[in-house]
Amino acid sequence: MAKDAERDRLELLQGTLDMLILRTLQWGPQHGHGIGQAIRTQSDGLLKVETGSLYPALHRLEKRGWLKSEWDVSEANQRAKYYKLTAAGKAQLSREQDRWSQLVNAIGRIMNPASAGPGNTGGKD
Amino acid sequence: MRPARRARRAHPGDDDLEAEIRGHLALSIKERIERGEDPESARRAALKEFGNVTLTRDSMRAVWRYRWLDAAEALGRDVRFAVRSLLHAKSLAATVIVTLALGIGANAAIFSVVRGVLLRPLVNRDEDRLIYVRQSAPGLGAENTSFSVPEVSDFKSRAATISAFGDFSTVEFTMTGLGGEPRSVRAGVVNGSFFDVMGLRPVLGRLLNAQDDGPKAAGVAVLTQHFWTTALNRDPLVVGRTIRLGPRTATVVGVLEPSVPYPADTEIIANIVTSPHHLGATMVTSRIHRMTELFGRLAPGTSFEAARAELIAVHAAMMHEHPEAYPENAHVQLTVTRLRDQIAAPARTILLLLLAAAAVVFVIACSNVANLILARSVRRESELAVRAALGAGDGALRRTLLAESLVLCGAGAVLGIALSGPFVAVVSRYAARFSVRALEVTLDSSVLWVGAGLAIAAAVLLAYVPRLPSTQSPAGLGLTSGGIRITPSTNRRLRMFATTQIAFSFVLLAGAGTLLATLVSLQMVRTGFDMRQVLAFDVPMSATGFASVQGIDFTEAMRRISALPEVVSVSAGMTVPWRDAGAMPRFQFAVEGYTPADGEGNPYARFRVVAPRFFAVLGVPIVAGREFTDDDRAGREPVVIVSHSVAQRLFPNGDALNRKLWWTDSLASLFGKSVPSRIVGIAADVDDENVVPVPSMAVYVPTRQMGAAERLFVRSSGNPYSLVPAVTRVIHEMSPDQAVERAATLEDVRAQVLSPERLNAFVFSGFAGIALLIAVVGVGGVLAFSVSGRTREFGVRLAVGASPAHLLARVLAEGVFIAAIGIAAGAAGGYALSRLAVRFVENTRLPGGLPVAGAAAVLIAAAVVASLTPAARASRVDVVQALRSE
Repeated sequence: MAKDAERDRLELLQGTLDMLILRTLQWGPQHGHGIGQAIRTQSDGLLKVETGSLYPALHRLEKRGWLKSEWDVSEANQRAKYYKLTAAGKAQLSREQDRWSQLVNAIGRIMNPASAGPGNTGGKD
Repeated sequence: MRPARRARRAHPGDDDLEAEIRGHLALSIKERIERGEDPESARRAALKEFGNVTLTRDSMRAVWRYRWLDAAEALGRDVRFAVRSLLHAKSLAATVIVTLALGIGANAAIFSVVRGVLLRPLVNRDEDRLIYVRQSAPGLGAENTSFSVPEVSDFKSRAATISAFGDFSTVEFTMTGLGGEPRSVRAGVVNGSFFDVMGLRPVLGRLLNAQDDGPKAAGVAVLTQHFWTTALNRDPLVVGRTIRLGPRTATVVGVLEPSVPYPADTEIIANIVTSPHHLGATMVTSRIHRMTELFGRLAPGTSFEAARAELIAVHAAMMHEHPEAYPENAHVQLTVTRLRDQIAAPARTILLLLLAAAAVVFVIACSNVANLILARSVRRESELAVRAALGAGDGALRRTLLAESLVLCGAGAVLGIALSGPFVAVVSRYAARFSVRALEVTLDSSVLWVGAGLAIAAAVLLAYVPRLPSTQSPAGLGLTSGGIRITPSTNRRLRMFATTQIAFSFVLLAGAGTLLATLVSLQMVRTGFDMRQVLAFDVPMSATGFASVQGIDFTEAMRRISALPEVVSVSAGMTVPWRDAGAMPRFQFAVEGYTPADGEGNPYARFRVVAPRFFAVLGVPIVAGREFTDDDRAGREPVVIVSHSVAQRLFPNGDALNRKLWWTDSLASLFGKSVPSRIVGIAADVDDENVVPVPSMAVYVPTRQMGAAERLFVRSSGNPYSLVPAVTRVIHEMSPDQAVERAATLEDVRAQVLSPERLNAFVFSGFAGIALLIAVVGVGGVLAFSVSGRTREFGVRLAVGASPAHLLARVLAEGVFIAAIGIAAGAAGGYALSRLAVRFVENTRLPGGLPVAGAAAVLIAAAVVASLTPAARASRVDVVQALRSE
């Protein structure tokens, strides 16, 4: 069972981790562990973020001003650093979302030429 | 531990990162335990899941590190690498560094002189409100007539835009009282407001003020900083001492702070009462007795333009009220300038030209260095290709090249700045001929800034010159072949840089050639004087030379000196040719039997006062009539001698002798009463004002009838200078207080007058020499490189039967071709420069195409010399070796 999950897991596409983190934090402040869990559960276990990538990414986003961090005590009574989306982070999220849907649309047209007639998706050109 | 609000986006500490990781692990373990795992396996699983804790923490920390730190670290690595790799190319590195050092050093030095002379403010308080007023009479060839006392008082009473005027006149005093022999000192005589207007302060004691004005004040004097330092060794006890200035005495009251000596470099500055002449009736009442320089300070709230307009209006009104003092054809005019501009003006053209020459040398140096670097980068193309193949990006390769050129340029800048010290000394001594401000120029930090700026500019330029291994071109080529390949584009660039060097060198060479030709023609000119054997002395009267003041008895002095051994003959006069140029005016005169044409005034002639035997001593032939004799003295028949031009112009029929001549100019009365005098002789034309003689109208009067002698001329049969002690002794025997100074042969006097021209030629030749040297290295380097890249081609040519001589000629022709293109490109620039040269070498016609042709010939010859070595190498290529080398 565990072995199957390992096998079916998908490699995270390069450059999408930042977007996933921003998206996850849209629901409210969260600590690093929680963010990792949220990505895993929301993808039904298909996506697993390595902590070795997650934490540097969090710090990178904070340095660019898209996240703010604050120490707090978790529901499990554990001190943890909570990350929160800033206004700039929200703007960045919507930019990345746009870019992402364009990409999906474009790739979709190539992979399924039959179903991808003009104007059948919401992608912007 | 909680980070401060402000520092939220700052680097979180290591503890913070550690705590975050620990928090993550704790949450993970807790979760697993809640799911039912036992604590020990939960801990192990959590740690396993997390992976490498240290690595994660390091990459978290790396996020926060400043990027430029990384860049600096990388650059440091590159610099170390560059130094190592340059150590393998020592001769190239040395050539590049020396070339750049010459370019940078010359520019930094000249820039600091330009800054010191043209840009830096004067020490005077509010120096931008300090103005200088000058009266000139272009119609009489007088650049600066200065002002008379009535004129100065007119300005003082009428000009409202000037808060105060300072006046200054230069006189010569024989000074005693500060130790040593009696010596003649140049002194400024000033009014009480002079120092206040100039905005200067004392370093010791006090300066002069309003209480020192007028004929009733006590005599007081201020020493200039230069005199105090050089002659008195900064003696602090000098204040309060009494000095004798000719017939009067004065008390030293203070020492002036270091300041630009303008209008004259004097040793002391005294009040009016010290100069009997300044108190005399002529000085006070005569509007034409002009010897005062005028300075002013703008009134508060007044603009410079308003003051200039008002002063010119006041002057125009003065000229209207006193037409007799401003002859129509003198075209008297007034100029008003800021003092700073006035002082810097004569040096402006020459300094800007020097700056241009230095910039040209820098361009030449840079293009030469660019050539060397380009050649080097082609040689190491395979190295760069290997690095690119191993994953170095374009940026990293550029950084490597930039580091290398930074190392080279940095070293060049350091050496250049070291060189700029001596350069500044040379250039400022040179520029001091044109502006006194150059004397105070010292090496300052601007040299560093200019040097560093130029070095960085050069470094960036050089880093972008070489081509990087292109991604389009097959990388395998660079990786596999060990030899060098010169692509057509590299070759074009190399040739372009070499051509640039030749073109700029040509401009400098042609400019220097023009100046040299001018100098040669100036030195070859026949002056009409016999210059080698005649020694001239200044024997000044105490105070200015007017008939009212008595000096030594020249007749007696000349009699005693002529008795000395080796003395052939002795005479005297009022001026030394060239050295005293401009000291004596031109006056209007009339001759019986000559009527000026309609609408023309009386003719002008140079007024010259000479003693008996003057023409014989100076070697000027008497064309007709006789020379002055001892009998031409007061009480006898008044006589004059005229120059050949006067006789020729006024009496073309050749009957000028024995006619009566008299001065009609009111100014001539300053030298004594003018009565009709018989023309007893006609002397050959000589020009004692211009170094290049022009036909000159001159009238000579005998010393014992008009004017007075202040200069002594001694003709020697041996070495003239060996007579100096004896002549000085004779005069001191007659009058111990009489100064005897500036002994020099006429030849040396003229050489001294020519020294600015000589220096111009010298400095520009220096620049041209540097440029030529760099250009030779450049052309030679390009050809050597091109030959070494074509070994195979030459091998093939030789194999199919080309003769070595043919190959030699081909390479030589290439060098000559580069030079020819460069010369053609530089010809236009050379022409422009020679036009500029006319502006500061006066009284010269440009010596045609000779220097231009000379410069071209020199460059072609240099190109041939530079091509010889590579050409010889090409002709000696070993055929078998060359064909096997691939």
